[in-house]
Amino acid sequence: MRRWIWLSVVAVFAIAYPLLLSSPFQQRLGALVLLYAIAASAWNIVGGYAGQVSVGHVVFFGCGAYAAMGSYAKFGLSPLFGIPGGIVIAVGLAAIIGVPTLRLSGHYFSMATIAVAETMRLIVTNTDWLGAAVGLSGPTVPRNIFDLSFLSSLPYYYLFLFVLVITLFITWWMTNSRMGFYLRAIKDSERAARSLGAPASRTKLYAYMLSAALTSVAGALYAMMFGFVDPESGLGILISVKILIMAALGGAGLLFGPLVGAAILVPLEEISNSWLGGKGAGLTFVVYGAIIVLIARFQPGGLLSLFTQRRKSKSDTESKSDTGAGHAP
Amino acid sequence: MLLEARGITKAFGSFKAVDDASVTLEQGDILGLIGPNGAGKSTFFNCLTGDLKATSGRVLFEGRDITDFTPEQRAGLGLARTFQVPQTFEGMTVLENVMIGAFLRTSHRKEAETKARAVLERVGMSRLADAPARSLGTPGRKRLEIARALATEPKVLLLDEAMAGLNAHEVRLAIDLVRDIHRSGITLVIVEHIMEVIMSLASRVMVFHQGKEIARGSPREVTSNPAVIEAYLGKRAAKAAAGHTPVELMGGPDL
Repeated sequence: MRRWIWLSVVAVFAIAYPLLLSSPFQQRLGALVLLYAIAASAWNIVGGYAGQVSVGHVVFFGCGAYAAMGSYAKFGLSPLFGIPGGIVIAVGLAAIIGVPTLRLSGHYFSMATIAVAETMRLIVTNTDWLGAAVGLSGPTVPRNIFDLSFLSSLPYYYLFLFVLVITLFITWWMTNSRMGFYLRAIKDSERAARSLGAPASRTKLYAYMLSAALTSVAGALYAMMFGFVDPESGLGILISVKILIMAALGGAGLLFGPLVGAAILVPLEEISNSWLGGKGAGLTFVVYGAIIVLIARFQPGGLLSLFTQRRKSKSDTESKSDTGAGHAP
Repeated sequence: MLLEARGITKAFGSFKAVDDASVTLEQGDILGLIGPNGAGKSTFFNCLTGDLKATSGRVLFEGRDITDFTPEQRAGLGLARTFQVPQTFEGMTVLENVMIGAFLRTSHRKEAETKARAVLERVGMSRLADAPARSLGTPGRKRLEIARALATEPKVLLLDEAMAGLNAHEVRLAIDLVRDIHRSGITLVIVEHIMEVIMSLASRVMVFHQGKEIARGSPREVTSNPAVIEAYLGKRAAKAAAGHTPVELMGGPDL
């Protein structure tokens, strides 16, 4: 019941936000929060629920961004047509990366994904067809509404909100399906999960592919809003790190964790950028580093886990009296 | 023949943890695997479940060669196991832990839940269904392992020291549970240190020592076998023990 009240409050706020706070800066900020929330929620499927910390997720983000811009720059089509193409490429790439790397555990998987992401960035930087270091641009003047090129951030805001809702719905549906149960089990003990018939490698791979598909959509939306993509904005490692930190800060493995993380970090970054101007560019990294340390030290489950923890410790004490009552095999 | 292992050898480098061990398991058997620490029984056990890949030898299930099957494929065929150190899914409730097992036979959440509840009822844990699994103590965890395995609807259940760490009263309750499982038609393989358990449950026993099978037979036969006593207690003690019943010497059944 309380859950539904919270949900409706958040929903009403999300819908009303750009109308209440209607300056261009605020609307743009809102749109960016939602965009990163989509990417972080997509990451959450594999990084949070499956416990496979991918630090190379920007690869899939780049697939979407390049596919969207490419469909305009190369074929004169609306960037929208690039979305399915981006998804296909991202899912295919996820399968190619996932089959060998998902066998690696813990840090090795993370490192492998970084290597793949950086390799892709270098390849694209040196591929003229993809614009090399300059990147690809979208339509400068929209030919029709399907070019999704708007001056105001307002249309983007509602588009992103729509996609975020779909992403969260898919995530929620997954966590309630067999796949979601298997992922959580594999995260806790892969060996036990396999002994009970959970096909660990395949389940993780599917999660990775699903996550890649959704991340690529986020990338496409990003490129549409900014109207261009280059190796740094589409394939830079910092985007991976941002996505990861947002999910971890809010609560990895929790449905609304990434949204909470994005709602905190994106404004922080935008505000610090506008205060410090060009001088502050490097400061972002410092802040991210500090946040990683703080999360790891004080709240490994993320901010939202503060609430679930309290709920769980309550039920813990309730069940303790049960277990204490001489229950034994 | 339900389960058969032929000439299983498992080597780690030049060390052979299991050396040419074979076993056959008929429907309705309770096979006990015993032996001193480090004898290779757990390694052999893990070769049967697929957790370890045997260096050589074959494993057959219902006449089918499953040597190259993964643990999850073996689970699908009806081979379930528990772990010596419980591998509880800590982030889940007791019910959800059991549902993971139940999901092997159905992809529907509701069905899996119904079945998991039935299994919890059967093992006497239904009151704890919604408790977080990490709130359980050792006895609860051990029982949860069995419940999870049962939810996969196994034909053969392999228990790896399911009673280690339990007190005498808990062991008795666990023996009752295993008997009940056996009565329902499930064939069992039990690795166990506690002799009382083997004596009261196993229909056949296989004794390991330094990677090799040194004896097999009924529990009585095996425990009076001089080679077995020697393996447990050493040569001198075995001679001195000649006048005593071996069961006493091996730590049971004085519970």
